[in-house]
Amino acid sequence: MATEMNDGFISTADLKKHYRMGETDVRALDGITLQIQKGSFAVIMGPSGSGKSTLLNLIGGLDWPTSGSIRVDGEEIAALDENALASYRRNKLGFVFQSFNLVSSMTAEENVGFPLRFSGIKASVRKERARGKLEEVGLADRFDHKPTELSGGQQQRVAIARALINNPLLILADEPTGNLDTSSGVAVMHTLVDLQKAGKTILVATHDPRMLSVATDKIYLLDGKQVSEAQYHETIEKMTWEGGE
Amino acid sequence: MRFSDLVDLIVANLARRKGRVLLTAIGVVIGTAAVVTLVSLGAGLQKNATESLWGISDLSNITVYPGYPMEIKGGGGGGGGGGNGIDQQDLVLITPTVIEQIKALPGVKRVIIQDYISVGSEITFDKLTSWGNFQGVDVADLTDMNLEASQGTTELGRGKLVIGAYINRNFYDPNPRPNAEPIEPPDLMGKVLKVTLIKWNQDGTETRRSYNMEVVGVLKESKGESDYNMYMTLDELTRWNEWGMGRKINREKEGYNQVLVKAESPKEVVAISEQIINMGLQAYTPQSMVQGINSFFTIMQIIFGGVGAIALLVAAIGIANTMTMSILERTREIGIMKAIGATNNNILTIFLGEAAGIGFVGGIGGAALGWIISAVINVFASSYLASQAASNGYMSSTPIATSTPFWLPIFSIVFATLVGLLSGLYPALNAATLVPVDALKYE
Repeated sequence: MATEMNDGFISTADLKKHYRMGETDVRALDGITLQIQKGSFAVIMGPSGSGKSTLLNLIGGLDWPTSGSIRVDGEEIAALDENALASYRRNKLGFVFQSFNLVSSMTAEENVGFPLRFSGIKASVRKERARGKLEEVGLADRFDHKPTELSGGQQQRVAIARALINNPLLILADEPTGNLDTSSGVAVMHTLVDLQKAGKTILVATHDPRMLSVATDKIYLLDGKQVSEAQYHETIEKMTWEGGE
Repeated sequence: MRFSDLVDLIVANLARRKGRVLLTAIGVVIGTAAVVTLVSLGAGLQKNATESLWGISDLSNITVYPGYPMEIKGGGGGGGGGGNGIDQQDLVLITPTVIEQIKALPGVKRVIIQDYISVGSEITFDKLTSWGNFQGVDVADLTDMNLEASQGTTELGRGKLVIGAYINRNFYDPNPRPNAEPIEPPDLMGKVLKVTLIKWNQDGTETRRSYNMEVVGVLKESKGESDYNMYMTLDELTRWNEWGMGRKINREKEGYNQVLVKAESPKEVVAISEQIINMGLQAYTPQSMVQGINSFFTIMQIIFGGVGAIALLVAAIGIANTMTMSILERTREIGIMKAIGATNNNILTIFLGEAAGIGFVGGIGGAALGWIISAVINVFASSYLASQAASNGYMSSTPIATSTPFWLPIFSIVFATLVGLLSGLYPALNAATLVPVDALKYE
């Protein structure tokens, strides 16, 4: 494991997230140290409860770590106040979620342009840029559709367009294919690959093994700890044999 | 975030939940309408009262009457009668000596003696007859009493009358033809009135004596006592009264009925009137009455406004409830907004804006409704008040029940918006400080 902290575009050092759930202490993340270079397609693999979403949320500034450091693009995320975090999320990140998280009352175009409102961009520019992004993800004919009028795959592509609207360096995707059928999942995967090729850094948390085929970096998590690929497969296999999770 | 975008977003969010927003706003409408209507009613009643007090608006005046053993204060403008039948021993009289004492009080500008006719009288002009309050005053010019002429002069002299604005309305035809139209009040300016004094002798026979009095001036309408008075010199009136009594009047023993004390400024009125009361006389100041009436109506408006404010408070709780519900339902949306870069302030502003928006919509509705209700009350109450006024025999300007000051609708809309804003504060703060990851997980 790397010992130099500030090497990568994303680097964490001894990152911990503990919380209490009822009577038990949950160690969602228990000392993660990793580095991801700019332009990578990093995949965090792990079963549910392994802490991969927690890791993603911490890197995305949606949650606060119990201890440890997170640096993204030279900035210590754990030290930022809420306003700085908001600006970090707005300017450097794009989020893609398993459940799409579109605003149901807004059209595709309005959803994609929504982040620009918080940057104070005027409506006509928002519209133009949102349409551009929707065209990029192949939804040129769906500008005025509400999320409920779109298929799962289309909704996820709207979400990707929204993640791209501020031209971020980093795309964080939490189970982006989890709610999609096979072919839609593959399409979304290809879209993410295209983005990586265009220079973005992609960080995906998933247990979809197809993602591994396009990954440049692979991070395996089990019970909040990083493990090697061999360890991971061994444990998963054992768990399957024992019929547990 | 741009202001136009913020407004746009707030409107869109409110439009999403039309039914609930409308129901919540109705609470505000009722509260605001109650405030507007009740305050209008208070203001209208005050306006009505002060308008009928217009005539005593000269706040530097103190009217002084003889002091009675049991003080009966503020006995209106009437006075009259020569003090017959009252136990002279207990009465504190306004004798020339007392007048000199009053004149010597600090802050007194001048003292004007006013006396009323105490003998029967009849006025005829053309074929018309009337009666009237003759008032004798010891000033050469009525401007000293702050009276102004609308026609002619205010200067008094022997055989001359300056009459109040409503005197001509009292003239009537004593022998009307059947079905005759009511007569037009005659123009008396420059005309000569025949004043007949009547006294009854011991044996029941009556003696009459006539004077020709020329109307040299008509006073401006004051909506006060002077409208019904016919002013003449004190000397001439005293002669009439002495003829009626059949003897000389000794002022040192009988005093005057009434004097008007004018203060240097309204500020001194209270102090002067206190000293006059200490002399055993009655002092009546319009100032104390006007102040009393004004403070009474101010209190009434506050109470009325308070009743409306209670309705608004209930509405405020409604807004807080609606916003709390709405934020619960939209927790995930708040998470999304935070994930895409909204600051806590952005979220706070949006939800405060929505709460204020409900208040604003309700405020506009309430101001309009309140204004309409006030207008409707006015229509019904005015006709009632007018018929009352007519049956009481005086007719001032059109009576009103409610008066909506121009600032009231604006104020109430602003107030309702503020109420909304405040009600939204707690839910909006809750929304703004949600941890994004928890908000996103919320089902």
